[in-house]
Amino acid sequence: MLKNKPHPLTSNRPPSPSSMERGMNSDTSRKKGVRLLFPLLILGAFVCAAILAPVIAPYDSNAIVNIETIAPSTQHLFGTDDLGRDIFSRAVYGARISLTVGLVAVSLSLIIGILLGALAGYFGGWLDSSIMRFVDIMLSFPSIFLILAIQAMLTPNIYNVMLVIGLTSWMGVARLVRGEYLKIRELQYVEAAQAIGCSHWRIIFRHILPNAQAPIIVAATLGMAGAILTESSLSFLGMGVQPPTPSWGNMLMDAQAYMRDAPWLAIIPGILILITVLSFYLIGEGLRQALDPRKDYAGS
Amino acid sequence: MKTFLWRRIIQFIPLIFGVSLLSFFVMHLAPGDPTSLFTNPNIDPRELARIRANWGLDQPIYLQYFYWLGNLLRGNLGTSYTTGQPVLQEILARLPATLMLMIPAYILTLLITIPLGVICAVKKDSWFDNLITIFSFAGMATPSFWLGLVLMLIFAVQLHWLPAVGISEISATNQSMLARGIDFLRHLILPLSTMVLLSLAGITRYQRAAMLEVLNQDYIRTARAKGLPERMVIYKHALKNALIPIVTIIGLSLPDLFGGAFIIETIFAWPGMGRLGVMAIFQRNYPLIMGIVVFSALLIMLGNLLADLAYAWVDPRIRYAKK
Amino acid sequence: MYKNAVVIFLFLLVCLTGCAGSGSLSAKPIKLPDPAQADLNGSLILSLGGEVSIINPILLTDTSSSAIEGTIFTGLTTINEKLEVVPDLAKSWDVSADGKIWTFHLRSDVKWHDGQPFTADDVVFTFNSILNPKVNSVRRSDFIIDGEPIKFRALDNLTVQAFLPRPFAPFLTHTGMSLIPKHLLEGKDINTAEFNRRPVGTGPFKFKEWVTGDHVIVVRNDNYYLGKPKLAQIIFKIIPDENSMLVALEAGEVDSAGVPPKDYRRLKAKEGLNVFEYDALTYTYLAFNLANPKFQDKRVRQALAYATNKEQLVKLIFKGLASPAYAPSVPISWAYSDAVEKYPYNPEKARQLLKEAGTENLSFTILTNQGNKEREKAAVILQQQFEKVGIEVNVRVMEWSALLKIINAPKGPKDFDAVLMGWSLGLDPDAYSIWHSSQYPVGFNFIDYRNTAVDRLLARGRTTLNQAERKKIYAKLWQIIAADQPYLFLWYPKSIEAIRERVGGLSRPGPAGLMLHLEKIFVTK
Repeated sequence: MLKNKPHPLTSNRPPSPSSMERGMNSDTSRKKGVRLLFPLLILGAFVCAAILAPVIAPYDSNAIVNIETIAPSTQHLFGTDDLGRDIFSRAVYGARISLTVGLVAVSLSLIIGILLGALAGYFGGWLDSSIMRFVDIMLSFPSIFLILAIQAMLTPNIYNVMLVIGLTSWMGVARLVRGEYLKIRELQYVEAAQAIGCSHWRIIFRHILPNAQAPIIVAATLGMAGAILTESSLSFLGMGVQPPTPSWGNMLMDAQAYMRDAPWLAIIPGILILITVLSFYLIGEGLRQALDPRKDYAGS
Repeated sequence: MKTFLWRRIIQFIPLIFGVSLLSFFVMHLAPGDPTSLFTNPNIDPRELARIRANWGLDQPIYLQYFYWLGNLLRGNLGTSYTTGQPVLQEILARLPATLMLMIPAYILTLLITIPLGVICAVKKDSWFDNLITIFSFAGMATPSFWLGLVLMLIFAVQLHWLPAVGISEISATNQSMLARGIDFLRHLILPLSTMVLLSLAGITRYQRAAMLEVLNQDYIRTARAKGLPERMVIYKHALKNALIPIVTIIGLSLPDLFGGAFIIETIFAWPGMGRLGVMAIFQRNYPLIMGIVVFSALLIMLGNLLADLAYAWVDPRIRYAKK
Repeated sequence: MYKNAVVIFLFLLVCLTGCAGSGSLSAKPIKLPDPAQADLNGSLILSLGGEVSIINPILLTDTSSSAIEGTIFTGLTTINEKLEVVPDLAKSWDVSADGKIWTFHLRSDVKWHDGQPFTADDVVFTFNSILNPKVNSVRRSDFIIDGEPIKFRALDNLTVQAFLPRPFAPFLTHTGMSLIPKHLLEGKDINTAEFNRRPVGTGPFKFKEWVTGDHVIVVRNDNYYLGKPKLAQIIFKIIPDENSMLVALEAGEVDSAGVPPKDYRRLKAKEGLNVFEYDALTYTYLAFNLANPKFQDKRVRQALAYATNKEQLVKLIFKGLASPAYAPSVPISWAYSDAVEKYPYNPEKARQLLKEAGTENLSFTILTNQGNKEREKAAVILQQQFEKVGIEVNVRVMEWSALLKIINAPKGPKDFDAVLMGWSLGLDPDAYSIWHSSQYPVGFNFIDYRNTAVDRLLARGRTTLNQAERKKIYAKLWQIIAADQPYLFLWYPKSIEAIRERVGGLSRPGPAGLMLHLEKIFVTK
């Protein structure tokens, strides 16, 4: 469930955009707008909450404010957890952590994926085949083993969680970008650019990249959702964001033990993860439909 | 065809080499060693050093790798540190449980998702399409450890309909084949449902997209224009072609056949490979880790090869030469 | 679209709260079954939290394998409910006046599960195998005293002698080591023998079946020398997830499971279950790296002790099912003494001591291992408590292997500030390996604690055989160590075990567990 590619069974992820881009759509633009607006508003609210965490959170996220585990009330909007910490405050700070993990991990996977994919697709030849063999090697591991092994090497802390998720999720992006470059480099404007003596570097990043951005942006939104889920899977193994720092993943994991006595402990981070992941997927889908160049000939 | 096959199989060799090299060094660079597990104030650390030496862990890493590689070439995957048993035997002991969970899960997922995807595509933007979208995304966004526990609490503890953990009722070993089969199915239901619920979204979305694309193709329009009944258009012409990409997705999901279900295996105490691998990593049981990685990498490559062949077979537009 | 999501969630919410259950939570008295109703064809189903690795007493290192081994194998001696060493395969023993030669007289009515007679040769073979450097046994150090191995010799078929290089009080507790058959293992590579998957012992149960990763079955040994067991078989079911194990217990799929403190009240009130709580031979501590300048001043460590509200800690984490610790020994040990400085919670005094030591703005990092929720929680609570006296604490939870890599570093100074861990103690109070200055940097005195008085007492403690005298030595030792506070002693946890009411024949709850006399355990229909 941890790689940026489609797994029908174990994955919590949808097919990557490369596999979805064949999908045509016929949404009217009004519907599209609405579909994008809702998730954007929700995510916007979450991002604001994350940035303004110290202002919004009524308590310090680690402070023991009440000796008992108490249910949601007016004083503690989401209740308190097993150590008597205010869950609302933890959820707000957790948003910070979870969204940052997603953002950094995805940026990293994009950087690696775009760079390697672009080099492979643009230059082709031995460079292409060696990069793609490396991608094959990375894809030959059951992803959880790869993540755990690297995580063990780095020791879990919040930066390494981002690093590990990034380092093990770039392969899909690389394949996708390579595919785009293979297509685009045959186009006339690239030949023209080569003819007037533009450097390869310039062609790769200034001329081709902007034209390949649509599937990359979609991949990024989907990747954000995936990274947040991956962090919660890692928390299950105790290899995610380490306590006492709250993340939605480790809050949910810690709540497992209290499912009978204090179900709100699990429900709150569960809903937050669900809404966030759903929003990212919907944005990804919305963007794909909006950005897909072939939408022009999508009939019916 | 034959040369294509041979070429692909020969390509396995550098891949396996790369996989083993990468995992060997990543694992050995990770801090700690297999004797960490024994730490106890009554055990002299010098004893641990002795045991490490017995395992050859006092040698330089590159030498250890060559020993391992040499043994591999002779078909010997080594001996697990924790059990003293051959690694291959350990893996083969776990494989059946994994397959008995994963294969039904694959089949069931496909049986549910393909029709769902097709219906969603045909009835695009209907309330049904929207409901399935929400439901499948909700499944996708729910961590498996959480869903598994909820199902267990409801069906095993509250309702007492199904067993919570394990692969069989152990005390029932001397019953008839039929009774044992039913017992196994009862144990299978909860982990299987968890897996299927979590993975509905993936293939449903994919199938929906593939179907939509096909429905927009010229030949479908032609078929419609010819006045063929809509049902015929969809099931005879469109579906056949919309199924092609599913082959790819199955090939791509192979790696997680071996490790991806580890959370479900842990929660439901299912004795599969995922648990074995995760435990081996935590224990720094190097021979077992390497064995599992190489074994699964090999099967994954074979699976991908089969997927490619199947792809070429269902879609005549693709020729081996392309690869 | 979003309405649907809300509906689905409300549905899940209802399901969950339905599970949360209702009804009163009043504790229910222990109800034990009538032995007359014992089902002689009954199976007991026990749960194991970890994978079983190797069922050979001299090689195993994990608790799951050890639980199974205990039903199949027996040793020269065993322990009773009071943790005293009592005869088992040895009927009796005597020790020479100089404390160096121990003679064990064996029972003559014992057979291995394959029918071969048990003899003195098996005893000698077992101990020699443990001492063999090629055998990967971590027990070897139990039989080596100051670098010299103990020698074992069979005087005749039923008499074994052990020759110690010097008197060594903890030796007797090590004779509980389970014995392995010479006739099946001689000349084989014990590390990889097939025997380790299909063991043969002398105990009340015989090995029957092991399905890797799933379960192990042992069946009644009709010829057990202490009488025919009442259970037909014991099934050990492996359930790696703690939450799932409780679910399996409540669903009636296993007969027994360990209970986390938070579930104590709920399970205690549950029909059909008996919940027992008892002391364990472990303590949890925060160890300060004394090689680190931050902690070299004794006053700083004492200040931290005063700043720690152990009552709050125990209440928050264990809901009272643990007691505060003040010394490196456990209350149930005969060598325990609480005549030590206890540093009652006093943040004022803590601040004052820190000031005297000139350490204001102290900040340090607590390391602990992942996978132990109690320790993680304790680290967080300590962080809060220390903050009140102006100390800034970071908490780092590390993977076990990675943490050990730091504290087991072969050379000092080791790279840490403070570590939150626990020790499981042996039956003997000897704590040489933890506190003696020779056990640094290699050894378990990983904090570099040096106190010549402590060194002397430790050496005297382990060579003195008279228990009354040893008790005095250890009382003094705990007093000195508590005064130095190289560790901040935190708590003694209680073991909590839930067993279904159909299981009877249990021994009195204690650190030796509830099933000390396995042959007497029974289940009703």
